[in-house]
Amino acid sequence: MSELWDYRHLTLKLATSEFKLRYKNSLLGFFWSLLEPLLMLTVLYVVFTNLMRVNVEHYQLFLLMGIVSWNMVSRGTTMSLNSILGKPSLVQKVYFPREVLVISSCITALLMSMLEFVVFAAFMIFFKVVPGITIIYFPLVLAVEFLLILGVSFGLAALNVYYRDVQYIWGVVLQAGFFAAPIIYPLSIIPEKYVWIIMLNPMTRIIDMLRGSVIYSSMPAAGDIIYVTISTILMLVIGFAIFAKLEPGFAEEM
Amino acid sequence: MKNGEDAIIVKYLWKTFKLPHDKRKTIFESIAGIFDGKQGYEELVALKDINFTVKKGEAVGIIGKNGCGKSTLLKIIANIFRPTKGSVAINGKITPFLELGVGFQPDHTAKANIYIYGAIMGLSDREIDAKLDEILDFSGLRRFEDTKLKNFSSGMQVRLAFATAIQTNPEILLMDEVLAVGDLEFQQKCLDVFQQYIKEKKTIVFVSHDLNSVRRFCSKALFLRHGEQVAFGNTNEIIDKYVYGVDVQKDTKDLQLDPEIDESNHLNEDAKEEKTRWGNKKVEINNVKFINKFGKESTMFNSRDPMTIRIEYNVNEAVEDLQIGIAVYSDNDVMCYGTNTDIRGYVVDTTPGSNEINLNIHNLTMMEGKFHLTVAAHSKEHEPYDWRDKQFSFNVVKNGNDAGLFDVPCEWKQ
Repeated sequence: MSELWDYRHLTLKLATSEFKLRYKNSLLGFFWSLLEPLLMLTVLYVVFTNLMRVNVEHYQLFLLMGIVSWNMVSRGTTMSLNSILGKPSLVQKVYFPREVLVISSCITALLMSMLEFVVFAAFMIFFKVVPGITIIYFPLVLAVEFLLILGVSFGLAALNVYYRDVQYIWGVVLQAGFFAAPIIYPLSIIPEKYVWIIMLNPMTRIIDMLRGSVIYSSMPAAGDIIYVTISTILMLVIGFAIFAKLEPGFAEEM
Repeated sequence: MKNGEDAIIVKYLWKTFKLPHDKRKTIFESIAGIFDGKQGYEELVALKDINFTVKKGEAVGIIGKNGCGKSTLLKIIANIFRPTKGSVAINGKITPFLELGVGFQPDHTAKANIYIYGAIMGLSDREIDAKLDEILDFSGLRRFEDTKLKNFSSGMQVRLAFATAIQTNPEILLMDEVLAVGDLEFQQKCLDVFQQYIKEKKTIVFVSHDLNSVRRFCSKALFLRHGEQVAFGNTNEIIDKYVYGVDVQKDTKDLQLDPEIDESNHLNEDAKEEKTRWGNKKVEINNVKFINKFGKESTMFNSRDPMTIRIEYNVNEAVEDLQIGIAVYSDNDVMCYGTNTDIRGYVVDTTPGSNEINLNIHNLTMMEGKFHLTVAAHSKEHEPYDWRDKQFSFNVVKNGNDAGLFDVPCEWKQ
């Protein structure tokens, strides 16, 4: 762990250079980095607001917040999946803790999601919704989400080195997850007896808390905070254990 | 760490690679594999019981043939591979130069890549800020600092990488043949840096096929063969062992160390036998051996070392006179040298039966390469008894830094 701290500089460098690379080659540069999520969110907003006839206050913002926070999960884990396997030269020719590669991928995903949150803020202004003081919970919940993604990513990135179909399986899981979490619909449309299943997914509560703190000025419930914190810690421990178990063989396995 | 003077301590180190018969790379294949019952893998022992210690400030060369485990050993020291058994203890900050330009991003500019590569080699932005000018000057790429790396030639990329890497101020340096890249001028720059490191008493572990640079830079050497540690110690002694084979008993087997040479020898003898051997066999040349300075048979020789050519012959019929001659050809068929007993006024023993004659060479003056030998038995009037044309060969390994085909003993004076 203390060794990882020594490599914080490298971690950030890799994360930011990857981030810059994503937008550098496009014609509109940084502007495009805002335009892309703006266009995407507009399309999703138009489609789903007409498709879903649900009775939710500020449904547009409800929907967009759900999509943006889910995007962070799918982007972070997908990028991390290939963070080890995609850099054979780094893994086979030079030493640094391999965790650095996973963490930097997650940070890149976080930075990209930040841009989407900026666009989300534009939608808030457009729909004239002013967040309350509860917005101070937003960065905290986001931090928890980031750690949850990190935990899952550790496990996935390590497993993907040994089993190359993990990435395809995970792609299916993500697609299912998009509909299994209350992203485009509110929890209220789920039959009462099935709600507990949806609530098992920590992302359900995280998305709910993010929405509450930014859109509805509501405090996160203590139960939600505890559940989410425990499952995040659990995920980090499991992911890290898998990673630590498989890490010594990375260079040989690739 | 038992001793503050030791930089690298390798103890009882073993490394085994598992090579599955059919590699299962997916979960699906792994599950399917349980049912079809075809389990199994080949074990490849890459390193067997390696033991050595590198003291601080020492430069150690690792030598051996391809696939003997040199690079594996270096990667274990660099913590990229983990030992199967045994341990490697490191005392100091390691900078591996296993490959230059690791982590370069072709879509970033040269300058951005200096920062990324610097970070991988353990430099902070602030440290690079201070050294940026030096890096750009050393690499000679200042004009292109804002050019994207993908537009660089591979040589330019290597220059940029090397210029950045040497800024890391390493304590322990691991090098794997990196000096072999770039043009002559750049190579010279690298050698200067290398020399500087040695002067500054950095600990260096250096893997190379170029025995000459090992001899030049390293005070100690480690000789590996098929993953086994053959010898560790003073560079010149170890290189002698490498070149001349190891010990008395194993001697002739060691010659097979170099399968390429051996095989080509057999090919020569079998296929070319007809065309390259003629004569009336009144005298027959049975065998020719190359004897090294330790009195052992060998096909590899250091330049400037002595060599004895031992010719075993059989006198089948009484002959009036017998001359024995040799001629040395370079690999591209240039005749380099020839002599015979007639020229030297030596009278050859013509007693019927088997005999041998030695040609003692005090000092092999050829620099390096493969050389072919013609041995002939003939009369003074050049009636060939047995002429074996370029049927024997030996290799010469460079010893020193002079260039060319032949050593000319000389000295500068003013």
